[in-house]
Amino acid sequence: MSSYAPSPLLLEAAGLGKRYGGVVANDGIDIHLDKGHVLGVIGPNGAGKSTLIGLLGGAIRPSAGTIRFQGEDITGLPASERARRGIGRTYQIPRPFLDMTVADNLAVGQFAVAPLDSAAAAERERRQILERCDLADVADVKAKDLPLLRRKRLEVARALALKPKLLLLDEVGAGLIDSEVSDLIALIRSLQDGQRAIIIIEHMIRIVKECCEDLLVINFGKVLTRGRTAEVLASDEVSAVYLGTSHGGAAKPPRAAAPEPAAAASSATKPLLVLDAVSAGYGQARVINDLSLSAAPGQVVGVLGPNGAGKTTLAHVISRALPVTAGRIRFDGEDITDLPAYAVAARGIAHCMEGRHIFASLSVEENLLVAARQVDAAERRLRLERVFALFPVLAERRKAGGTSMSGGQQQALAIGRALMAKPRLAIFDEISLGLAPVMMDRLYEALAALKREGLTMLVVEQDVERALDLADAAYIINKGRITLSGPAAVVRHDERLRHLYFGTEE
Amino acid sequence: MKMLSTPSNAATTLIDKRSVVGTIIVAAAFALVIAAPAFLSTYLVEIGFKLMLYIVLAEAWNLLAGYGGLVSLGTSSFFGLGAYVSVGLLNYLGAGLPLALCASALAGMTLALVMSRGLFRLRGLHFTVGTLALAEALRLFVVNVPWFGGATGLFVTLDLPDTPELFRVAALLLALTTAIISVATTSRFSVLLRAIRDDEDAASQVGVRAFRTKLAAFMVASGLVAAAGGLQAAKLGAIEPYGSFGLQWSVDALAIVIIGGLGMRRGAVVGGLFFVAIGELLADYPELHVALTGVILILLIRFAPQGLCGLAEALLARRAAERRLLTEGKS
Repeated sequence: MSSYAPSPLLLEAAGLGKRYGGVVANDGIDIHLDKGHVLGVIGPNGAGKSTLIGLLGGAIRPSAGTIRFQGEDITGLPASERARRGIGRTYQIPRPFLDMTVADNLAVGQFAVAPLDSAAAAERERRQILERCDLADVADVKAKDLPLLRRKRLEVARALALKPKLLLLDEVGAGLIDSEVSDLIALIRSLQDGQRAIIIIEHMIRIVKECCEDLLVINFGKVLTRGRTAEVLASDEVSAVYLGTSHGGAAKPPRAAAPEPAAAASSATKPLLVLDAVSAGYGQARVINDLSLSAAPGQVVGVLGPNGAGKTTLAHVISRALPVTAGRIRFDGEDITDLPAYAVAARGIAHCMEGRHIFASLSVEENLLVAARQVDAAERRLRLERVFALFPVLAERRKAGGTSMSGGQQQALAIGRALMAKPRLAIFDEISLGLAPVMMDRLYEALAALKREGLTMLVVEQDVERALDLADAAYIINKGRITLSGPAAVVRHDERLRHLYFGTEE
Repeated sequence: MKMLSTPSNAATTLIDKRSVVGTIIVAAAFALVIAAPAFLSTYLVEIGFKLMLYIVLAEAWNLLAGYGGLVSLGTSSFFGLGAYVSVGLLNYLGAGLPLALCASALAGMTLALVMSRGLFRLRGLHFTVGTLALAEALRLFVVNVPWFGGATGLFVTLDLPDTPELFRVAALLLALTTAIISVATTSRFSVLLRAIRDDEDAASQVGVRAFRTKLAAFMVASGLVAAAGGLQAAKLGAIEPYGSFGLQWSVDALAIVIIGGLGMRRGAVVGGLFFVAIGELLADYPELHVALTGVILILLIRFAPQGLCGLAEALLARRAAERRLLTEGKS
């Protein structure tokens, strides 16, 4: 495209490979990236995408291949030197400098790379980046006080403070709702000034579609296919290993045809869980307000709403991890408002928390058994078999370390651990966060199977379609209050839902 | 408390109005301290010397642990090294005390430089154990190598300055320490150092050269500790390996900072005052002193992990919030 003399080639990786002992994480990956271009990297969880980012950013030493950046061989350079040459990366699981303010988090890169720049210029630049990333209001807040999604923005902001020529974005869109995705896309587009290049790893297909010109599909550490975005997304091969049912692929399977005995039963029987005018929050901040909700035995209740609406707080209130400031909570007729978390767990409420919370030092099997310590050995075996039947991959990797598996497998483990307690009510918080579409399919199939078995579930979810396919009833929460509730089929077609999720366009 | 009032740009401006006023106050205080031995009792001069020495050790340790995340139990290795270097120069070269202390500091920095390659490969607890091993190794070296007087140690053969004079030298060392640590904890350097403390890998990923940054902090701290060791040797007039390389120096520096406030700018001073005061009050009951210090440490770690400074800060913040609430209520 550029006809003038200097080579537009910014990054050239040839035969890039990484093995850990016998495990091949990346093998023979070639990348040519010109200035001004945006390359998307997609692939199933565990395909080696984050390893690729690590190799390019310098956090991981390649076992094979070379990397050239602006014509210079940087294969042997450590991460700090690559950053100084203009490679900025983000971490998929944010790693901010926790005890420093948001502004100081940005200052680190500035002062490291340009220690002699004037303070006023650096300050101005920081403010611009923070405004761009929608973090201006928390500039003086310590990073440890930010919730997960704002930490993800801080990852982007911190990388931008380096003024990178090559920006590596590792799943920065996970967990965002549509209007926020639009903001992110606008941000990424605003960075395309023709001088820099961006590599995006993303499961949000909309971001991939709208931002990336070319796509690289990785599977089992190798390049499966590459090409123009539209062509790659349309290919059958990619649908099979990655996209599943979500976009452009085959027609939806008949998963909507879930049996509905629960819906019929709900009116007749006593509700299992009742929240009566509950308010709660952290410190001075009230996150949920005067919120009432109920779930009948065997019913699946979807809790939807934008980020920061109070969904996760609600989940924590029910499992009693967070005290309420007003209202009562009843479970199976008993008032559990003042019970501690372990007592609530013993009564049969299992909480599969956002962010998985896998015990890293325990194996897969130990992670599962921890949740069923109090029952006898035979019963424990039985429950373990049940979880393994639901997620065969866990049986295969039963001796592996809990966090050594891919994101999707870890999420399966987190769900399995919740089930090991044989709960009467299971709370699933954002189980699809950061997962490949095909992996989400599998998890939701598992939830549908649990529903058929009659498990009462509360599903907190970002992905409206999936949640509404599964749920019998849905509550839409915004700013800590219920703005809409009713049977899933009715909520699905309510205009207020669209308004809330997609902005004012429709 | 400058860092507290302007958290976002504490690092961006080296000099502002507050620090000018602060410098004047500090300079006046320093002049007072230099003049102090003239009108203080001998006892208070002794205590003052001890206090200043401890604050120097604690400031250095706080820079490493509180700002750099380098939790060291190697204070005693640099302290002992400084003591032996100073005594050697005084005895065999007839150098003056200031020159001997400078040489001690230089030796401390050199040892830090030499050991850094190995020690910085270790992270977290492993680094701590590594520094502990260094201190033990150095002590055994001094005990077993014939040149240093073995377990009996060495005596200073020259006439040494009297206590008021040493008090003034200690005040000078403390002033120097305060100046250096103030710059290191409020400048752009401190931003890089704290980033490494919070997440070394992520810091590298935004261009921080972690090794150099840690090395700079390590060398500065080690130089100051070694100078303090030399000064202590001059005070005692005699050194022996179990005293100079004693683990007690490392533990005391750590205890003072934990009491005062880890990673807090005033932590070393507040902790030092508290620590020395407790020590003097209970001087006649040594076993009680150790036990009480232990209890205080446990209580602080449990209820005020940021030490006395953190406690004061939390109280002030609560007071401010209440006041704000009151004024809001009125309007």
